[in-house]
Amino acid sequence: MLQHFHVPEEDAVRVMPDALRKTVNELFLKLGFSEQDAWQATDVLLLSDTRGVDTHGVSNMMRRYIDMVAKGFINPRPNWKITRETPTTANVDCDQGLGIAVIPRVMELAIEKAKETGIGMITLGNGRHAGMIAYHAMMALPHDMIGYSITAGGQSMPPTFGAEPRLAPNPHAWAVPADKEPPFVLDISSSSVAANKIQLLRRMNAPTIPGMMATADGTPIMDEREVPEETIVLPNGATRELGSHKGYGLSAVAQILGGILSDGAFGPYEGGHMSHVVAAYSIEAFTDVDRFKKSMDDFLKYLRETPPAPGHDRVYYAGLPEHEESIDRHERGIPLHEEVVDWFDQATAEFGLPKLER
Amino acid sequence: MLEHFHVPEEDKVFVKEEDLRQTTSDVFAAMGMPREDADLAADGLVTADIRGCETHGVSNMLRNYVQMFRDGRINPTPNWKITNETSAVATIDADKSHGLVMCPKAMDIAVEKAKKVGIGAVTIHNSQHAGMMAYHAMRAMPHDMIGYAITGGGAVMVPTFGAEPRVGAVPHAWAVPADKMPPFVLDISSSSVAANKLGLLRRTGAPVLPGLVADEHGTPIMDEREVPEQTRLLPWGSTRELGSHKGYGMAVIGQVFSGILSAGLFGVTNPPGNGAQFVAAFSIDAFRDVQEFKSSMDEFLTYLVDTPPAPGHDRVYYAGLPEHEETEKRRAEGIPLHREVVEWYDSISSELDLEPLVR
Repeated sequence: MLQHFHVPEEDAVRVMPDALRKTVNELFLKLGFSEQDAWQATDVLLLSDTRGVDTHGVSNMMRRYIDMVAKGFINPRPNWKITRETPTTANVDCDQGLGIAVIPRVMELAIEKAKETGIGMITLGNGRHAGMIAYHAMMALPHDMIGYSITAGGQSMPPTFGAEPRLAPNPHAWAVPADKEPPFVLDISSSSVAANKIQLLRRMNAPTIPGMMATADGTPIMDEREVPEETIVLPNGATRELGSHKGYGLSAVAQILGGILSDGAFGPYEGGHMSHVVAAYSIEAFTDVDRFKKSMDDFLKYLRETPPAPGHDRVYYAGLPEHEESIDRHERGIPLHEEVVDWFDQATAEFGLPKLER
Repeated sequence: MLEHFHVPEEDKVFVKEEDLRQTTSDVFAAMGMPREDADLAADGLVTADIRGCETHGVSNMLRNYVQMFRDGRINPTPNWKITNETSAVATIDADKSHGLVMCPKAMDIAVEKAKKVGIGAVTIHNSQHAGMMAYHAMRAMPHDMIGYAITGGGAVMVPTFGAEPRVGAVPHAWAVPADKMPPFVLDISSSSVAANKLGLLRRTGAPVLPGLVADEHGTPIMDEREVPEQTRLLPWGSTRELGSHKGYGMAVIGQVFSGILSAGLFGVTNPPGNGAQFVAAFSIDAFRDVQEFKSSMDEFLTYLVDTPPAPGHDRVYYAGLPEHEETEKRRAEGIPLHREVVEWYDSISSELDLEPLVR
């Protein structure tokens, strides 16, 4: 995540991961989740927060999940089931279960299939929010597999040349193990910017960045100006000339593999309806695992050792900044915004739970 | 492809699909390929032309291929073999096969595996240029499968924040069948623009668009200016703020599935011309009823094309739709080749003692 979107140091309250884990787990139990699901959902949120992916951590999501359970959009005790199955595939009906609880368990199944055949890929329909999807892909890493995950649903982004949002910035994530280098973990939305970052620019009275968004009629804003009241996010690439059809296309692929392949879902999401995909590719099925991991080390080192362009001091690869952030946050704690800590105090009081320790 | 890059009207010579296929196959056969392989490679090239993807059709590619055969870089009669295999996956050493022959054959293996176990995936190394990746992905569609194809290789694009090219503009392609609607076929490079389009801008004297390329130090050019002599390809997204890490990331993951997974190839060890690819087939029936899936695809694609257009545009497309329409047009009118390309055909056919290209 760009530095720009991190919590300012003066507003940050450092909370240790274990303390946050305890409180979040208790909240999920209060929402009616099973022990296993509460642990699992908590683990996904914590990984986002320790890796510095604050957008998908407790700050934005915990209150939203509580609200969605209250509205009946999330089923805290889903009876998810497999509706179709082959040696490499399955299709799952999530029974409105929260993605961060259900998807990891389905990923375990994909990993089992990959152990048997080389690949496992499972589509999930009738699901709810998937959290940081890198989590699901990363589950493949300890098994010496390449992980892949997608989530799709809703509409906030217009197709290239379109004036109306008909897709979401559906993300794709891949995780690939290396030997000594931190793993390659790519988790990319298909829009040029997250909608909540436009909100942030407005709050800071900062001007638009050319190519970051469109006016309400779908026209890409290609100059610096005050952020208009109504905007739409653009597919990544911004204009057709710079490749917005690629962001549009990746979003459509996610909707097809997730929604269309599982149960035909697309378009407006009612009650937070989301579709997902998880897949695992066993490295051993293709090649020698040690050889592969050493090649990954060489490749990733080659990338991060690229001489930097003027004005930059380092070149990264996907997953490297998050790995470094994770080491820092495990030592110093997770910087939560004061407002978030206040919210936790309110929520724990309401549910009769001990306060979040800090 | 943008209108901008099509052959100018006055230079067009229209050639029928089957005639282009014939002469192209003859050229491949004259390079020593068995006729069956020559037909397959010609089909890949002509499919690119018929779909309007000229960058990967006969015009740019065939003369390169002829040179590669002559330099011994493409083996016309390879003894390719599977080195690792499970019920769902395989790894192939291509023995310097032409990618336009190896990839379709690998996709056929993937399709057979997918028929048995639901998914098939094949990673390939030691092959050569593979043409338009969409072609290989599309080969899964008649089997009611979703096709996926990647070709890795090269170091032509800078990583985000980098000053030196270290990854290829690695393309990914997906092909998904629908019922009545033309199929969804997405074939996207991970760079913001193809290198050969810069040559074109230079020739026409047009300025670079902001975000299209970087200067020789790797700094993205964010204003309109004359195309500098030395440029660097940027990852799709152009700057970090606009998401260049996404194009960079797509290039890396594409390299992992092709070069690294097959034989540990990347950068200098995986130059253009020592290709690595990945193809996969996903059986729709393994997930959902095929007819229901195709009907859902029709509804989804209709929903997308029915989006009201933004000011200045008259239609909204989806990937594969413009190419489908171009195919119908070119089947009726012929394929517009540049005069210079037809002249090249005449000279190569006379050199190789082949029947000239009919037009």
